[in-house]
Amino acid sequence: MTTVVKSRDLRAPRNALDRPAGRSGWLVVAGQEVQDLWKSGRGPLLLFCFSVLLSAVTYLASTNQALNFLERREAVNLLLQFAVAVGVLVTLIVSADGISGERERGTLESLLVTPVSRRGIIAGKLIAALSLWLAAFLVSVPYVWVLARAVGILSKALILGLVVGTIVAIGMASIGLLISAVCNSNKTSLAASAFLLLILFAPTQLPSGLPQGWFFDVLQLANPVASALSYLTTQLVQGAHWTEDLVYLVSPVITVVLAGGALILFGPGIVRLRAGGDAG
Amino acid sequence: MSERLMANSTVEAVNLTKRYGTRTAVDDVSFTTRPGDIVGLLGPNGAGKTTTIRLLTTVLTPTSGQFWIAGHPWTSPDEIRRRVGVLPESGGYPGFQTGQEYLHYHALLYGFTGAKATGIADSLLAEVGLDDRAGSRISGYSRGMRQRLGIARALVNNPAVVFFDEPNLGLDPAGQSQVLEIIRRVAHGRGATVILSTHMLSEVEEVCSRVIILNEGSLVASGTVGDVMRTAEVERAAQLRVPTNLIERARRALSEVPDLVIERTDGRPDVVRISLRTSAGVAADETSERLNAAIVAVAAANVPVLSYEMEGARLTDAFLQMTRRAAS
Amino acid sequence: MTRGILLTVILISLLMLTPAAAVASPVGVTVAPDRSDVSTVLGGRFTLKTEVTNTGSVPTGVLLAHLNVASVQGDIYVDPEDWSPARSQEFSLQPGDSRMLSWEIQAVNSGKFAAYVVVLPFGEEVAGTEELVVSPLVKLDVAPRSTVSAGLALPVVVLIPLALGATAAVTLIRARRRT
Repeated sequence: MTTVVKSRDLRAPRNALDRPAGRSGWLVVAGQEVQDLWKSGRGPLLLFCFSVLLSAVTYLASTNQALNFLERREAVNLLLQFAVAVGVLVTLIVSADGISGERERGTLESLLVTPVSRRGIIAGKLIAALSLWLAAFLVSVPYVWVLARAVGILSKALILGLVVGTIVAIGMASIGLLISAVCNSNKTSLAASAFLLLILFAPTQLPSGLPQGWFFDVLQLANPVASALSYLTTQLVQGAHWTEDLVYLVSPVITVVLAGGALILFGPGIVRLRAGGDAG
Repeated sequence: MSERLMANSTVEAVNLTKRYGTRTAVDDVSFTTRPGDIVGLLGPNGAGKTTTIRLLTTVLTPTSGQFWIAGHPWTSPDEIRRRVGVLPESGGYPGFQTGQEYLHYHALLYGFTGAKATGIADSLLAEVGLDDRAGSRISGYSRGMRQRLGIARALVNNPAVVFFDEPNLGLDPAGQSQVLEIIRRVAHGRGATVILSTHMLSEVEEVCSRVIILNEGSLVASGTVGDVMRTAEVERAAQLRVPTNLIERARRALSEVPDLVIERTDGRPDVVRISLRTSAGVAADETSERLNAAIVAVAAANVPVLSYEMEGARLTDAFLQMTRRAAS
Repeated sequence: MTRGILLTVILISLLMLTPAAAVASPVGVTVAPDRSDVSTVLGGRFTLKTEVTNTGSVPTGVLLAHLNVASVQGDIYVDPEDWSPARSQEFSLQPGDSRMLSWEIQAVNSGKFAAYVVVLPFGEEVAGTEELVVSPLVKLDVAPRSTVSAGLALPVVVLIPLALGATAAVTLIRARRRT
């Protein structure tokens, strides 16, 4: 016997919920997460530490009389790489705390019983994490101005830094959220995310005299962080046109598509009270 | 094809089941609630109470079975979430938010505008007695204050059904009393259905109109407190304390009362324990009357009754009886 | 008649000795830059154009035009790739055709330099005996410019951390006061 269930809301709506007039759920989550990040002092403190690092690099580069024109261009590249690396790092750390942190603090359940969709929760947390990258980039602007204007690459450095850094930040933040969603322990999530970034960033620090070959080239191109930083180098140091060497941006863009796509597709299934399914 | 219409029920669960691999956390549970009900959800640890609540609030997905909340089926989780409020057992709070900010945020999540959310937060804080600490960080709240804040959050959307999972855990007697009072107001003042999961059976007796007892995932009893106690068939007995020098006169008087079993109590020469013979065929609701007749008999023998204590008259006894029975 | 022949020889000699804006080559390609000198400052950018013409009666085949920069002062290391990232351009020309090639150059060293374009055959069929065609030199006079910006850097490196540190401190204090 087939049963047809007729649904009827028997209670007269005593609130505005049947036709919500407020903001979308993801926007509310994003707003609160951003507020928590900045009003708690975590965001400003991270930016302060970041600015001290940039100040040291900028001061050394700008006062070193021995640096020639090309080396000053390299200094701009170095500064921008710092900005991208540190900005992406803090973004990744915040996103890695996004779901697993709520689980550990016991605040996830009260969020899951609200009408905000799982995807909305993910979107809100992603935006909050990216706010750190954007703030880090804004802080780096005056430093880049000091170094880059003298060697005539200011606008190029700022535009490319913003575009390339944002692409990398979105990709890494998405990965951080995915890791966070599948980890029950916040420590595991943070450690895995930091380790991943270390693996991706380490090749950029290797000496240039190491053996090269197609395998290393492929690894370099497949690494979204190393690849993006290589693109910045070709643009700022070697003076290439922005349309040249776009192949370096392929893996960062693919990272955004794959990680972001995974969040959209699998988000509802992985944002649960416990990772690994309805383990209760 | 039959058409199923929602009766006037706020919660209707039909054969609700949740399995994790080979382990069954909730097994074929069915029950219904009405507006204004305060339903006690009881059971030993691991009975499936929290799992049942999480199923009904759409945090978990049932393995099988169906349920409706305020007329909305389990297949519409968004609609259900708009109509339920939950105080989870092990809920945490963001320490650096204030109570006001926390409730304001949750009101926004339910779709209220900023101004309305502020009003809701303020009024709920006043309702739970936290208005003087509205601007303080939650990290500075006591355990009781956090529980009250959690109750306020559960009421942000003026829900049709509110689930309280161990609301009095870790609270002192004054705090417990406050929470129970709030729960009564929620049910009677707002007309909401309250489902109260608790280990404190005295609370249940105090506030609940109905109880559901779970054991090892299965429903073992459901109904009013009286219904459950009748179903439990707990042995009803009483202890009378009389002056030690008159204990034998009291025994002789009691021996005249039909179907009474008289026992001595070890180490207490002034107490006699009486119970009804199991063969007496006395209905459960007549037991108290028959036992009370014993007092009359003792008093008629000019023996003062210093104290009289009924056994098996409490929900605790029924609960233990039923869960032991189910386990065996 | 002897005078006429002598005059003709002298005329031809004069023509051969007169510097020409373009250089003729046996393969019929000429390379002519649009200017003979550039003055700029360190970091300055400019565009150098050279017109390559096929003055012969046959198609040129694939040609490669390659820009070079050299120091004329001897003690300055010049890496032409630092001056212009795209220094080579391939093309071919029909008889009588011309092609204007552009080179984006940034002066990354200060001093006196010379830029020139070499045109050579390009491809697998090159025998290796063909002659090169070289443009006249373009003199580059790059004036030094201070790129040290210590005076500008100091306020930035001091004030920004101060401002952010103060903001962080105020935020943390206010957050603690809400307890």
